[in-house]
Amino acid sequence: MNILESILQAFESVRSNTLRTILTLLSISIGIFSIIGAGSAVATLDSAVNTQLVAMGENSFMIRRTPTINIGNSWRKYRNRKDITYAQAKEFKNNIESTDLISISDETDGYTAKVGNLSTDPDISLIGCDENFFTIKNMQIIEGRSFSAQEVLSATSTAIIGNDIVLKLFNGRKAIGEYLTLKNQQFLIVGILKSQGSMFGKSLDNQIMIPISTFMRYHTDEWGSSVDITGQAYSKQSFLQTVDESIGTMRSLRNVKPWEDNSFEIETNETISNQFASFTGYLSMFGIASGIISLLAAGVGIMNIMLVSVKERTREIGIRKAIGAKKNWILFQFIIEAITLCQLGGIIGIAFGVIAANGLSTLINAETQIPLFWVLFSVGTCTLMGLIFGSYPAWKAACLDPIEALRYE
Amino acid sequence: MNDNPLIHIQNISKVYEMGGEQVFALRDISLDIYPNEYVALMGPSGSGKSTLMNVLGCLDTPSTGIYTFKGLDVNEMSDNDLAEIRNREIGFVFQTFNLLPRATAVKNIELPLIYSGVSSSERKSRAIKVLQDVGLGERLTHKPNELSGGQRQRVAVARALVTNPSIILADEPTGNLDTKTGIEIMKLFRDLWLKGNTVILVTHEEDVARYAQRIIRIRDGKVESDEKNTVSQYSQGTE
Ligand SMILES: Nc1ncnc2c1ncn2[C@@H]1O[C@H](COP(=O)(O)OP(=O)(O)OP(=O)(O)O)[C@@H](O)[C@H]1O
Ligand SMILES: [Mg+2]
Repeated sequence: MNILESILQAFESVRSNTLRTILTLLSISIGIFSIIGAGSAVATLDSAVNTQLVAMGENSFMIRRTPTINIGNSWRKYRNRKDITYAQAKEFKNNIESTDLISISDETDGYTAKVGNLSTDPDISLIGCDENFFTIKNMQIIEGRSFSAQEVLSATSTAIIGNDIVLKLFNGRKAIGEYLTLKNQQFLIVGILKSQGSMFGKSLDNQIMIPISTFMRYHTDEWGSSVDITGQAYSKQSFLQTVDESIGTMRSLRNVKPWEDNSFEIETNETISNQFASFTGYLSMFGIASGIISLLAAGVGIMNIMLVSVKERTREIGIRKAIGAKKNWILFQFIIEAITLCQLGGIIGIAFGVIAANGLSTLINAETQIPLFWVLFSVGTCTLMGLIFGSYPAWKAACLDPIEALRYE
Repeated sequence: MNDNPLIHIQNISKVYEMGGEQVFALRDISLDIYPNEYVALMGPSGSGKSTLMNVLGCLDTPSTGIYTFKGLDVNEMSDNDLAEIRNREIGFVFQTFNLLPRATAVKNIELPLIYSGVSSSERKSRAIKVLQDVGLGERLTHKPNELSGGQRQRVAVARALVTNPSIILADEPTGNLDTKTGIEIMKLFRDLWLKGNTVILVTHEEDVARYAQRIIRIRDGKVESDEKNTVSQYSQGTE
């Protein structure tokens, strides 16, 4: 078999028609890159989100005004929803019977904390929360204590801080029992959170928790004062019941008519991963669509290169036939050549796709997922492309009349 | 010469359609060629020599007439059968050498063996052997453009020989060579013939034809004369 010879011939084609070949290979690369890039990105995001969901704790759910992940222009649907007020949330918490683990929280960004003349960058997340928050969110307090129900009730100026704040403002000194200043208000530090690393490129330790009551009084941002409710069922068995009860309670608190849809979102691990799946679905579809378009363009280019190659090598084909090459040999030779060309472009695309996926995962601090499936898919696609777009030129070559081919100048 | 003919053609014509007009490249040619003959085909330019060679070499098919090769009806054969006959039975040598420009001498010679499915190690040793036989043992890895015209034609002859064909067809093998190199190539053919090969050679030089044992003259696509060569002492195999 002269497979090796055909493969070498493909490299020869690259050399003799450098510019055209490189442009075509580039569009194959772009096509494969889109597919691999989207595939890897989706795999990476998926694994990051799955880790996150597990960290969120089992049997927990969230009630919010709008969904966490919002795709497309569906925001119109949510625009007219009324805020979940703190009062409403408190009533909800009192009314739920199937679990005691209900937490009310709200968050705002861009805070600066000061201790003496030391101050942080204005990038702290300030979270108002209650005594159940840390349990439900699986957050450990490594030093000091959590908030008490009494503290939340009476809106004290106490704070639990993340590790980044400790490092920046206390630098080895004891933080518990000290005060820090947020917007001219002094807070007594009562607890320090266990470090949680980062997620999607954002540190999870750069945050300060204060009682939700205190938060509502002083720190609601201009986005309105809708709070988030997080709940946790006692067990897997009671989870659905608790979710049902929550929906019912929330609907009656917000006066939702029986024929109307919920005027709030209730999110479970499942709904979030579904939302996420539809987001990553869009991403893969986009990647595949743009991939297919550039691959089609590349296919036409490959066909063109192969036609030129057949034309330029008419005499060679004549020689081969005169010496006894059968039709299939010539056909095979040119198809192998086309496939090799496609694979060449594909390998470059795979390499860049994997590099991009690596970049993404470093960016969001997740483990890189090299989607083996997509790599195999790309190799398969390139083979198929070589077959499809190489067939016609190869067939033309195979059907050449040996005498005319030998006479060709 | 009384065994079965290697090649038997009977009333062969080849017609080309040129703008509604019929051009007869061959008219009603009949010939028998026997094993271990050395035939020179002669005739003026355009008389149909190459056309006849292509038909004999199974590269082209006649418009009408009978062609049997080793008793097999060539007209009945498919493209693939013809390719196989060309590969195993016929060694073609062209005026313009027709070597693959990018391949080394050895690779060029291996080519017909690739198509007949010979293993790569055997291919290589056979290619080297014939290259040595034609006196190019020192030029194994040279590419055609690194060889002189005479050397290229030797490579082409070696390629024709490597499959041990039944017949060697050479269409003006010395046409692109100077006289001295031409003589060397002719000696090569004569040696092959002396070893028992069958050779048909196209030429329009009387000097070249003198090496042959039988001379067929063609004019306007017809056989004008077909006779034993009595002029040359070479035909007796002595110098
Ligand atoms: N493909 C073709 N189409 C039309 N006419 C052709 C074709 N091939 C050959 N001919 C004609 O057939 C005739 C014989 O051509 P051929 O090539 O056999 O001549 P030749 O004897 O080999 O000449 P030369 O000595 O110049 O090589 C010529 O008149 C030529 O014009
Ligand atoms: Mg000719």
